[in-house]
Amino acid sequence: MAPALIVVSAVTLFPIVYSIYMSFNHIHLTLHGFRFHWAGLSNYRLLWASGLYRYAIGFTVVYAAITVLAELILGTLAALILQRLRWGRSSLLALLLLPWSLITVISAEMWSYIYNGVYGVLDAILLTLHIIHTPVVWLGFPQLAIASTMFADIWKTMPFVAILVLAGLEMIPVEVIEASHMDGATAWQIFWRVQLPLIRSTMSLAALFRILQAFGLFDLPFVLTGGGPGTATESIAVLGYQVMFQDLSFGPGAAVAASTTALVLIMAMVFLWVFRGMAEEGMA
Amino acid sequence: MAKGKANVATIIVIGGMSVLGAVSGCGLFGAGPSAQRKAAVVKQSGKHHRPLKGGKGVTIDWAASPITQTGTRQTMVRAFERSHPNIRVKLTTMSTNTDTTRTTLSTEIEGGSATPDVYMGDVIWPAQFAHSGLAVDLSKYFAHGFWSRFAPGLVTGASYRGKVYGAPFFMDAGFLYYRKDLLSKAGLSVPHTWQQLASDAKTLQAKHLVRYGYVWEGASYEGLTCDLMEFLADSGAKVLNAAGTKVTLNSPQAISAVAFMRSLITRGVSPAAVSTYQEPDAMNAFDAGDAAFMRNWDYAWSNSQTPGTKVVGKVGVEPMPAFAGDKQPGYSCIGGWDLYVNPHTHHLKQALTFIRWMTSVPAQRILAKKYSEVPTNYAVQREASVRRKNPVLRIVARVRLIARPSSTPLYPQLSQALYQNVNAALTGQISPTTAISRASREIGADLAGRGL
Repeated sequence: MAPALIVVSAVTLFPIVYSIYMSFNHIHLTLHGFRFHWAGLSNYRLLWASGLYRYAIGFTVVYAAITVLAELILGTLAALILQRLRWGRSSLLALLLLPWSLITVISAEMWSYIYNGVYGVLDAILLTLHIIHTPVVWLGFPQLAIASTMFADIWKTMPFVAILVLAGLEMIPVEVIEASHMDGATAWQIFWRVQLPLIRSTMSLAALFRILQAFGLFDLPFVLTGGGPGTATESIAVLGYQVMFQDLSFGPGAAVAASTTALVLIMAMVFLWVFRGMAEEGMA
Repeated sequence: MAKGKANVATIIVIGGMSVLGAVSGCGLFGAGPSAQRKAAVVKQSGKHHRPLKGGKGVTIDWAASPITQTGTRQTMVRAFERSHPNIRVKLTTMSTNTDTTRTTLSTEIEGGSATPDVYMGDVIWPAQFAHSGLAVDLSKYFAHGFWSRFAPGLVTGASYRGKVYGAPFFMDAGFLYYRKDLLSKAGLSVPHTWQQLASDAKTLQAKHLVRYGYVWEGASYEGLTCDLMEFLADSGAKVLNAAGTKVTLNSPQAISAVAFMRSLITRGVSPAAVSTYQEPDAMNAFDAGDAAFMRNWDYAWSNSQTPGTKVVGKVGVEPMPAFAGDKQPGYSCIGGWDLYVNPHTHHLKQALTFIRWMTSVPAQRILAKKYSEVPTNYAVQREASVRRKNPVLRIVARVRLIARPSSTPLYPQLSQALYQNVNAALTGQISPTTAISRASREIGADLAGRGL
């Protein structure tokens, strides 16, 4: 246990504590490495005064909320369908997992071909079907670009939720479902009143994982839009990268990272608290 | 119940760890120099690295992104090694994405790494890198006479507070590419003003000779700052005052420049997708025969001449247009690459020898004549045989250059303020007036140390 703890501390705790320390300093790069000057909260004040930071927080929260909700609903639907399949289930499962197994940067490059405003696959299909008459620049307008990014995200991570939910469904004893049938419950009633309460904890775990990941949203906007158009898809992680590694402003960059971490932990705790409340209510 | 609580606690801990890990993996926490080094080592192409015989001499490490044509760097390294038998050069290949290269180099050097000894870096880096101690003051080691070998303006661009931090290696600028065949079909001559370009484009489109009139770089990234600088300079607007201390952007000239850029899209001269275009996108549209005019860099010439593109033999190139009634040609943004020395190098003498040779007449001749790059060595740039090499090299001396306001270490923030707001104006989210006033406000805050 002890050696493992040391390794974990070295690779996670140390960088985290160090970056929190960085966020409270003015940092100058010199020939002899970093020079720190205690700055108190001034890096955080700088963030709060920045409209871009506030936007990035708002965007990331809304993005996380919408994509996670959509993934939960679609993932559960996919799991229910998979569970009912009598044959071809394992091959479908493998197929479903393809998007999830692709490295995001690669699938993002693929989506950028699909969304391309002149030679894009999506425009070509819609033009051929006469659904549109001029090419749509999917990544050229704020709402469209946000929606397109969300769609690519949901496509990739919905299978993850589906697999988790499927595992939850499989764990429900067959007798419970059969008993509900005997009592004359409809399919909808079985799902809503029997299955859903029983897979709630699995779903909350899936949701938690997804929320945490969604807050680290980086590769999709980085590849697809570079944070644009304007700053419409500037997630908190893209902003942090810009501040830290393009501007070489290490203090404010560390503050972006540290504040994100705090925000995510708070979100996760609130989520669990709300969820537990819901679960207890359901039991009653 | 107690068990339930324990589970919740475990989830929070695991979840917290995973998100922190993810965020630090993204580089927000500065994946230490060792991680970056490892990434760079994987990319090393050791093919041309021959160890020295008998242990004499030293090996220096040169980090450079790929240059347009394959083999450019390797050929130059081999030529250098032939004339300097006691120095070997190990080439480390960097990313083709400038920002990724900056990230790798800055984390490596800031971490105290002695390699690379010499690195190829963007022309907009000197102030930022000098300010952060990431580059050696070369003017300390090279006598005054050395710097006179470069074409005018380049050394100033590589300087910060009177000291020179980069040796200009090869340069680039914005050029206007056009379709000779389409213009002659429509009986038009090459446009020298923006107004003429727009109306010629409309004519060609109306005659169904071509799909799009003019393609350029309008995405939310550094390239848009380059295109913007040209329009700003053409209309007489300046981003900063001469001392680089005050923002002077908010002017009717700047607003009219952005309004003209937006009008190219609203009038249908440029496709709406131009607001998502980087250089390769513009090149794809042009090389596929779908655009009559294109703004791009030097390397777009060789790309348009690649067999298989639809425009081989149909492309002409000219300096950029100006606004009607103004002096011609219009302005071209300076791009290109400098050679910098890592302050932690153990081989300063050899690194300087390498730079001296790479900017010399024989080396720059290889660069220009064999690989069509624009040389920074003024003598080579003017040689008749170099100018005959291709149309870009022929006209480069006529180009009117404008530098980005990169004389401040805050340039990356400045550039972001410019391209993010102007990109928003190009897509119609905000008006040109709002874009300019917002960009000015943000740049003002950056200069005052109040910006993010």
